[in-house]
Amino acid sequence: MTRFAIAVGAAVFAVVLLAIVAAMFGHDPRQLLAILIEGSVGSPFAIQGTIKKSVPLLLTGLSVVIAFRAGVWNIGGEGQFITGALAAFLAAPMGWMASLLAAAIAGAAWASIASLMRFWRGAPEVLTTILLNFTALHLLGYAVNGPLQERGAQYPQTDSVPGGAWLGTIESTDLHHGAIIALAMAIAAWWLLYRTREGLRLRATGFNPSASAWAGIRVNAQIARAMAFSGALAGLAGGIELLGVTHRLFERFAAGYGYSGIAVALLAQLHPIGTAASALFFGALVTGAGELQRSAGISSSVAVFGQAVVILTLIVFGSFRRND
Amino acid sequence: MIEVIAQAIPLAIVAAVPLLLAVEGEVIVQRGGIINLGIEGMMLTAAMAAVAGAQASGSVLAGFCSGIAGAAAIAILFGVFTIHLRADQIVTGTAINFLALGVTGFVYREMQQGSLFVQSVAHASARAQNGVVILAWIVIPSALAFGLWKTRSGLRLRACGENPEAVTSSGASVPMHRWAALLIEAALVGLAGADLSLALSTGFAENMTAGRGFIALSIVIFGRWKVRGALIGTALFGAAEALQFALQAATSGVQFHLLLAVPYVVTLLILCGVAGRVRAPEALGRP
Amino acid sequence: MLRLAHVTKRFGATLAVDDVSLDIGPGEIVGLVGENGAGKTTLMRMAAGEIATDSGTIDVEGTVELVHQHFMLVGDFTIAENLALWGVTSESPLPDPSRKVNDLSVGEKANLELAKAIGRNPRLLILDEPTSVLTPVETDELFRVMREIASRGTAVVFISHKLPEVLAIAQRIVVMRRGKIVALTTAAEMTAAQLAEAMMGTMPSGAPAVSAGDARRGRRALHLSSLTGARIDHVTLTVHQNEIVAIVGVAGNGQDELAAMLRGLVKPKSGAIEISGSVGHIPPDRTRDGLVAQMTIAENMALPSPRWSRAAAIRHAAQLIELYSIRARGPLQRAGGLSGGNQQKVILARELDRRPEVLVASEPTRGLDIESTRFVHAQLRAAAAAGAAVLVITSDLDEAFALAHAIQVIYRGRLSERMSAGEAASRVGGLMAGVA
Repeated sequence: MTRFAIAVGAAVFAVVLLAIVAAMFGHDPRQLLAILIEGSVGSPFAIQGTIKKSVPLLLTGLSVVIAFRAGVWNIGGEGQFITGALAAFLAAPMGWMASLLAAAIAGAAWASIASLMRFWRGAPEVLTTILLNFTALHLLGYAVNGPLQERGAQYPQTDSVPGGAWLGTIESTDLHHGAIIALAMAIAAWWLLYRTREGLRLRATGFNPSASAWAGIRVNAQIARAMAFSGALAGLAGGIELLGVTHRLFERFAAGYGYSGIAVALLAQLHPIGTAASALFFGALVTGAGELQRSAGISSSVAVFGQAVVILTLIVFGSFRRND
Repeated sequence: MIEVIAQAIPLAIVAAVPLLLAVEGEVIVQRGGIINLGIEGMMLTAAMAAVAGAQASGSVLAGFCSGIAGAAAIAILFGVFTIHLRADQIVTGTAINFLALGVTGFVYREMQQGSLFVQSVAHASARAQNGVVILAWIVIPSALAFGLWKTRSGLRLRACGENPEAVTSSGASVPMHRWAALLIEAALVGLAGADLSLALSTGFAENMTAGRGFIALSIVIFGRWKVRGALIGTALFGAAEALQFALQAATSGVQFHLLLAVPYVVTLLILCGVAGRVRAPEALGRP
Repeated sequence: MLRLAHVTKRFGATLAVDDVSLDIGPGEIVGLVGENGAGKTTLMRMAAGEIATDSGTIDVEGTVELVHQHFMLVGDFTIAENLALWGVTSESPLPDPSRKVNDLSVGEKANLELAKAIGRNPRLLILDEPTSVLTPVETDELFRVMREIASRGTAVVFISHKLPEVLAIAQRIVVMRRGKIVALTTAAEMTAAQLAEAMMGTMPSGAPAVSAGDARRGRRALHLSSLTGARIDHVTLTVHQNEIVAIVGVAGNGQDELAAMLRGLVKPKSGAIEISGSVGHIPPDRTRDGLVAQMTIAENMALPSPRWSRAAAIRHAAQLIELYSIRARGPLQRAGGLSGGNQQKVILARELDRRPEVLVASEPTRGLDIESTRFVHAQLRAAAAAGAAVLVITSDLDEAFALAHAIQVIYRGRLSERMSAGEAASRVGGLMAGVA
């Protein structure tokens, strides 16, 4: 219960600090908070916007939860998101299911490059996953400026994805089915971690790899699988964002969803179900920050700042421990 | 083609300065047992602070000092969490990077709206640039090698990275040594960030460090946490970048984007080349 | 020299040191004895200024140096660098001070530790279990050094649970039990048996010795032929069903690598391991490698199982807790919250529950109290009686002699030939020192 209170406290503190910093630069903090709230949950339109932003965050958050629980530092959500989206785009003509499957596989594969490098060469995944992020980013840049560029070759973006691949919307809303898929994944992740042997061993490996090895767990294989699951989730996030929201690829497609997954996961104390609530919070923050930029001219990067404050606050209260 | 590459080499030597300074700073800190993943954010903050300082005062020197101050602020934050609160270094470093990204983006926007950018951005003179190049490639490495391996404080700092309990039991203070290392790194990275925005570019741009911090971390590993390795690793990387510049100049069009990935792929290869067969400082990363 | 007056120290709910008063004069050699957990180390750490007292005063004339049980050396540094780190300017006690500490033998490292402490010219030198990693010959050398510095006016406190040694070297003996001083005497006045009684509160009843005739051996179940690795050298040994074989040796002579190889965690450079049947393992470093502290007892017990069902695991764990008399709040208690003895019981329960054909137990009773030790020994004997082949790797000679049908000594990665307990009794000391 206290952990929940600390999480809520950290979230509130982040928002308050944001207001204070903005005030330091001459903005009115109360007006700011009003815009933030109005822009994120103040209208059905805003709420839908928040949920739409929360969907990829939920998936990238789950991706981090799985990885961190296994004791592996997958900071590559961004790159896995991008490669997932690229694969989804290429597979789109085959329909949305094949497309999303391709996204998950691509994400898993991209993450597994880092796994391979760790096991084959001892390269620390905390660095290789980040380097792969940059690589994927430029791969995307190449793709949308080159081979995958739209027919008119006007902007650095792809054509729209064929209609058959678009994710349908939920009755009378603007929300795409990706939201349902994401929630299903949260439940699946919970079930995996707490109700299966694989999850038990994954958690044990994350807590204590050497004790796990002595107990008979093949630790390297366990970690490799965790990385693959993790990458798959981030890749899926990219695929869903493509098929449900943007329908085309462009340079700034990833927009930090991969990295934000880390804050989402940590605020949720690495619990899959809590990740949904955490994703909603950060989704609201991002949506609200977008409104802040539009109406008050405050850089939307305050959302990233907010993520940092949340993480640091959590650290201060020691409530987040990768090993808890 | 050879001429193009030959021309690119001095360019690469100068362009690699921020990276080299970051590598040098990180070697000191990691030898003391701390992984500073937030070096990316530190450099970014320094770059922005340098521009802000230079614009506000009109002097490039003040800009460099501001850059170092900015990096120091980040270092203090990082140190409070990792040395004092003994928090996980990787998570703290990651948070610092987010923080720096968010804050610099925000502050930069504010400055743009203010009057700070009416005049053109101050730029470091060629002489200042050369000074920094010599500092980074010659003076600092020598001082570092001497300090770490030939002085008693250096011995103690390295012991902090191998067996901090032994250091404490000998009566010396592990936190003090680590703080000192962190602040020295801040000075070097502050210099790097200022060099980036005031000498190598014309002003600040969002996320301008483009992963240099992470590349620096990789080179530290490649260089086996030694000064000589740092120089060789950065030189190798610089050579690869020179090749990249040359190719980008020679070709045009779409390949440009692909070539932008070269530094990161090269770094990945570098990590594959050595890591695993090298021995990190024993206590690295342990709170 | 050193005056402790009414010193008390609590760690959470545990009273580690309970109103202790003690005086030590210059040039004295004082033996401080007691069981694990009696408070000896805590008391001396306070005397050395490493931890603070909760109440009471400590007066010291001059400096105090405490040589810990675990080496405080930087392995990657050379001997000279380690001495420099400590500010010791005197000559190196070991030849070729440019060698790295990682390459030294255990005895040499102990020597260096001692030199570091003495090199700072303390008025009081405290040695915490210094002989636990020394061979008998090295122990004699240590005593010689202790007598020498005592003669020069330095007081020496020698913490140990090895009574014969304490009686040999100490002039005065202080016995602690449960945080209090229960006896203050001289070596002349007490026998080892009386000291043991004071330490433990009762006369220890000897465990039934295993005679050679007890083994009605079955087939060969574990066979190592010429196993070689980084730290072991052509190890050959056989364990049959129904028998207990002990490998004894001072810690650091290759036992950990051998155990890891048997577990499959380390690949041998050459040689072969033949095992018929399943193997259970009790890892040498119980706290680090034995259990996942953050997970529940039920989860830890179920970890190697092919199937996982939370409900079934909890039920099964409850059964095992009952069977092995594990003192815990229930199957859902975190393993990290158990005492050392109970943790070992959990590990034992998990391994024995699968009825392995072979059991490899490394340091099975290290740090355990008497009751837990007896329990573990009984379990090991029962497993052997039921048909398992049991290999015990231990640095505790008493344990080896109490349990084993056959003993082999390990020194610098090499095994002696197989001996019966009787044969081993006279030869073990020399073998452990590397003297044939």
